[in-house]
Amino acid sequence: MGRPRRYLRFPWRSSPRLRADLDEELRFYFDMRTRELVEQGMSDADARREAVREFGDVEYTKRYCLAEDAMSRREERRTDYVAELRQDMMHSWRTFRRSPGFAVIALLTLALGIGANTAIFSVVNGLLLRDLPYGEPDRVVRVWGAHKDSGVDRSQISAGDFIDLRTRQRSFTALGAFAWGGGTYIGTGDPVRLSGARVDANVFRVLGVRPYLGRTFAAGEDSSGVNPTIVLGFSVWRRVFGGASSIVGKTVNISGRSNTVIGVLPPTFFFPTMAEAEIFTPLDLTPVLRDVNRSRKFHNLGAIGLLRPGVTVAQAGAELKGITAQLERDFPQSNSNMTVATVGMRDAVVGDTRPALLVLLGASLLVLLIACANVAGMLLSRAVSRRQELAVRAALGAGRARLVRQMMTESLILALAGGAIGLAVALWGTHALVASAGDRLPAASQVTADATVLLTALAVSVASGVVFGLVPALAASRGIQLALKESGRGTSSGVSRHRMRTALVTGQLALAAMLLVGAGLLVRSLVGLQKRDLGYSIESTLTFEILLAGDRYDSGAAQDQFFDALYTRLEALPGVVAVGGSGNIPLRGGASASLAIDGRPQPEGRLPEVGYQPVSDNLFKAMGVPLKRGRTFGPQDRQDSPPVVMLSESAARAYWPNGDPMGARVRLGPNPNDPWMTVVGIVGDVRMGVDGESRPTAYVSGRQDHWGGMAVVMRTTTEPTSLLPAVRREVRALDPTIPVSDAYSMKQVRTQGLTDRRLPMQLMAAFALLALVLAAVGVYGVMAYSVAARTREIGVRVALGAQPRNVFGMVVRQGMGAAAAGLTLGLLGAAALGRVLTSLLYGVKPTDVLTFVGVAGVLLAVVLAACLVPARRALRVDPLEALRSE
Amino acid sequence: MTKPPIDLLQGTVDVLILRTLAWEPMHGYGVARFIRQRTEGVLTIESAALYQALHRLERKKWIRAEWGLSENNRRAKYYSLTADGRKQLREEAATWRSYAEAVFKVLEPV
Repeated sequence: MGRPRRYLRFPWRSSPRLRADLDEELRFYFDMRTRELVEQGMSDADARREAVREFGDVEYTKRYCLAEDAMSRREERRTDYVAELRQDMMHSWRTFRRSPGFAVIALLTLALGIGANTAIFSVVNGLLLRDLPYGEPDRVVRVWGAHKDSGVDRSQISAGDFIDLRTRQRSFTALGAFAWGGGTYIGTGDPVRLSGARVDANVFRVLGVRPYLGRTFAAGEDSSGVNPTIVLGFSVWRRVFGGASSIVGKTVNISGRSNTVIGVLPPTFFFPTMAEAEIFTPLDLTPVLRDVNRSRKFHNLGAIGLLRPGVTVAQAGAELKGITAQLERDFPQSNSNMTVATVGMRDAVVGDTRPALLVLLGASLLVLLIACANVAGMLLSRAVSRRQELAVRAALGAGRARLVRQMMTESLILALAGGAIGLAVALWGTHALVASAGDRLPAASQVTADATVLLTALAVSVASGVVFGLVPALAASRGIQLALKESGRGTSSGVSRHRMRTALVTGQLALAAMLLVGAGLLVRSLVGLQKRDLGYSIESTLTFEILLAGDRYDSGAAQDQFFDALYTRLEALPGVVAVGGSGNIPLRGGASASLAIDGRPQPEGRLPEVGYQPVSDNLFKAMGVPLKRGRTFGPQDRQDSPPVVMLSESAARAYWPNGDPMGARVRLGPNPNDPWMTVVGIVGDVRMGVDGESRPTAYVSGRQDHWGGMAVVMRTTTEPTSLLPAVRREVRALDPTIPVSDAYSMKQVRTQGLTDRRLPMQLMAAFALLALVLAAVGVYGVMAYSVAARTREIGVRVALGAQPRNVFGMVVRQGMGAAAAGLTLGLLGAAALGRVLTSLLYGVKPTDVLTFVGVAGVLLAVVLAACLVPARRALRVDPLEALRSE
Repeated sequence: MTKPPIDLLQGTVDVLILRTLAWEPMHGYGVARFIRQRTEGVLTIESAALYQALHRLERKKWIRAEWGLSENNRRAKYYSLTADGRKQLREEAATWRSYAEAVFKVLEPV
C-alpha cells in the first residue's frame, strides 16, 4: 500500500460538509468491499447487498459518527480560537510595549471615564437600585401629613389622627408612629448629645428589622408606667457605648433618666427619613391623646406602614385619604384641609436626590463617550503608522475578519485595563463622594461596591472597548488592500480617516459644551445662593446648640437662670459683640403655630399657620436682624408678666394689611385657654434655610415659652470658631453635664445647607473640566496629525509665497471650524436637554444666555490654544525639506 | 429508531485500530481488511463498530484524518496515529498483556 498523496487538510467543515464527507467515506468502503466480494465470485448485485448486510447498522453508525465529528469540530474551533486569542494578546502586549506613550494616555483617559461612571453608578446603585435594609422594603410606606390648601405634603400627623388612621385602615398589616427623640448621654466622659427617635412598638415590626443584639420593642412597651427601655443603633453602640455585647440589660443615662438597653440594631440599618437617628426610645401617645387641645392640633408624628400583600401604595393612599376626609367632617376646627400623602419608602428616602443623581449619571456617561472618542481618535491615527504592519499580516494570510479581531482584542485589552484602573479610581471616588456628602446622603451605608457595581464596571469597560475599537478596526482593515499597493502617503483612505477624526472631535466638543453649560448653570445657581441676602448676617457669627437635661431644669425659672447666666458669661468674653438664643436658627428651619387675632371672627375651618420661635432678648442684635418698630424683648418680660409677641414684617403685612399690628392681641397655638399676647415689636424678615423664602413669623420671649434648649448665636469680632474652647469652658463651668453640640460658624452651617447643591455642582464641574481637557487633547491630536499629513502641501504653499500668517490662519481656521460646528451642536443639545436640570437650579433659567455665551468663549479659547502648537509647527515647515522628503 | 448494538468489545476495537494504524496511515476499508487478515477470521468485527470507533478516536485526538488518494486513485479518508494515540496504544497494550497473562495463569495448570 503506497503512501497516500495528501492534498487537503480540512480545517473546519460546515455541517452539510460533515455529512457529505461521511457519505463519501462510507461509499468508498462499500465500493471497495463490493469489488472484493465480486472478485471472490459473487454477482455484482449480491456483492453489494452482502457488503451492506455484513456492515451492521448503517443508519446508527452515520448518526454516531456525525455526532462525534460535530463534537470534534466544536473543540477544534475552540482550541483555534484560544490559540488565536493568545496570539492576539501577545501581539497587543508587544504593540503597547513599543508605544508606551499611547498606551498610558489611552489607559488614563479610559480610567477617568470609566472611573467617573462607576463611582456615580455605585451611588445610584446604592440609593436607587439596592433594596433598602428592611424586611420587606417594597411594602414599607411612609405616611406624611399634608395640607390641601398650602400644598405642603411632607408634614407631620397629630396623635389623634394617627390613632384613627391606625384603627380604621385595612391596607396595612401594621402602621407605626414615630417622633423626634434623642437626648444627652451622660456617661463617664463628656456628655454626648445623641439624635434619636421615639417609636411605637409597631415601627420596628413595619421595618422588619432583625436586631444585631437583643430585641426591639415589644407590644405594650410603648405605654406609660413601663420601665423605660432603649434600642441603640450599631454605630453609636460602637462609638459611644463601648461596643460590648454585655450592654444588653444594662441601664444608660439619657438626659438624666436611666433606660434599660434591650437591643442593638444591625450595622446596615438606618432609620427611614430620619437617618441621623441613633437611639430609639418608646413613644407614649397617651399624654397627648388625653389633652383635647393638642390631640388633633399638635402635629409631631411621622408614620410608616407595612402594606398588606397585594395592596398598592396608591390603594393604601386612597383609603387613608378617605379616612382623613371623614376626620375633616368630624373635626373641622382642627382637620379642615388636612389629609395625608403616602409614598413608597424608596421614594420617601431618596426622592430628593434622584434628579441630581440621574443628571450626574448622564453627565458621567457623556464624559465616557468623550473619552471613547479620544481613544478612537488615537487608534485611527495609530492605524496610519501601523498600515505597513497590518499589510504584512494580511499578506501572510490573515483575513479581514482576523485583522479586525486582532485589533478588537487590542481595544478590549485597553478597555479592560483602563476599566481596572477606573475601578480603583471609582472606589476611591465613591468613598470621597460619600464622605463629602456627609449626612446629606439618606442611605450612605447602602453605597458599597457590590457585585452589581463590579459587573456594571466590567460591562461598561467592554462596551467602551467595542465603541472606541470597532470603527478604527474596520477603517484600518478596509485600508489594507490600498496600503498593499501604496507606499503610504496621502491615500484616499487617509482622507476618509481624517474626516472621521474631525467628526469625532466635533462630537467631543459638542458633548463638552453640553457638560460645560450644565456645570455653568449649577455654578451660577450656587453663586446666586451664596450672594443672596438672608435678612441677617452670617459673617463672624458662631452658633451652637444647648439642650438642658435633667430634672433640675424642669422648671422654666431654672432654664431662664441657666441661659441668662450663660449669655452674661459669653458676652463678657473678649471678641464677643452680642449673644442671643433661638429655638432654631433660620438656616435649620423652624416650628410653626396657628395664629388667632383678638377681635376678629374665627375663620371657617383651620386658623392660619405662622412661623414660631422663642427667642432671647439679644437674639436680633446677635443675628443682625433689624428692628423695624416697637421694642425687642427685655428683662421686663418674665414668665409671670403679661405675655408679649414680636412679628416679622411679612406677618404684619399679611394679617394687618391696612392696620397697625402694634398693640394688637394674638393667640399662638391651638389652646383656646392660652392668654392673649400683645404685639410689642416688628423685625425684618429672615429667609428660611439656604434657598427658602421668608415666612410670616411670630417671635415670643424665651422666658415665656421654654423649650428646654436653645440654639445660641454669638456675633464676634474675631474668627468665630476660635471662641469655641472658651464657650465650652463657660458651659462646663455652669453645668458639666450639658454638652455643647452642633457648634459651627454660621457660614459653615450655610455651607452644610448647600451640600445638596454644591456636590452635584462640583461633580458636574469636574466632569465638564475633564471633558474639556479630553476634547482639547482630541483637537490637538487631530490638528497635529493634519499638519503632519499636510507637510508637503504646506511646503508647496510656502514655496509659492504664502505668508506665515496665511499658513497659521489655515491651520487655526480648520480647528475653529470643528469647534464652531461642535459648539453649535452642543449648545443646541444643552438648550434641548436643559430641562432635566431645572430641579437643581436656583434663580437661573436652563437657557441662561450668560452661561451659554461664557461656555462658547471658554470652548473657543481652549480649542484655539490646542491649535496653537500644531499651527506653530506648520510655520516651521521648511519648503525645501518638505519637498525633498518625498 | 434502531436500538444501538451493545458493543462489549469497544475497548478491544479501539486498541486494535490503534495498533493497526501504528503500521501506517490507512483508510477505514484498509483497517477493516487488515484486522480481518491479521486475526485470520477469528475475530469478526462489524465494520459499523469499526467506523464508529474511528470517528470516536478522531474526536479523542488519538488518530487524525486526512483526505488522500487511494491505490485505485479514489478520494479516501486516511487515518493516522497521533502522538497521543501512540501513547494510548502503549498503555492499552500493556494493560491487555497483563490481563491476558492473568487469565492464562488461571487457565493453564502450572
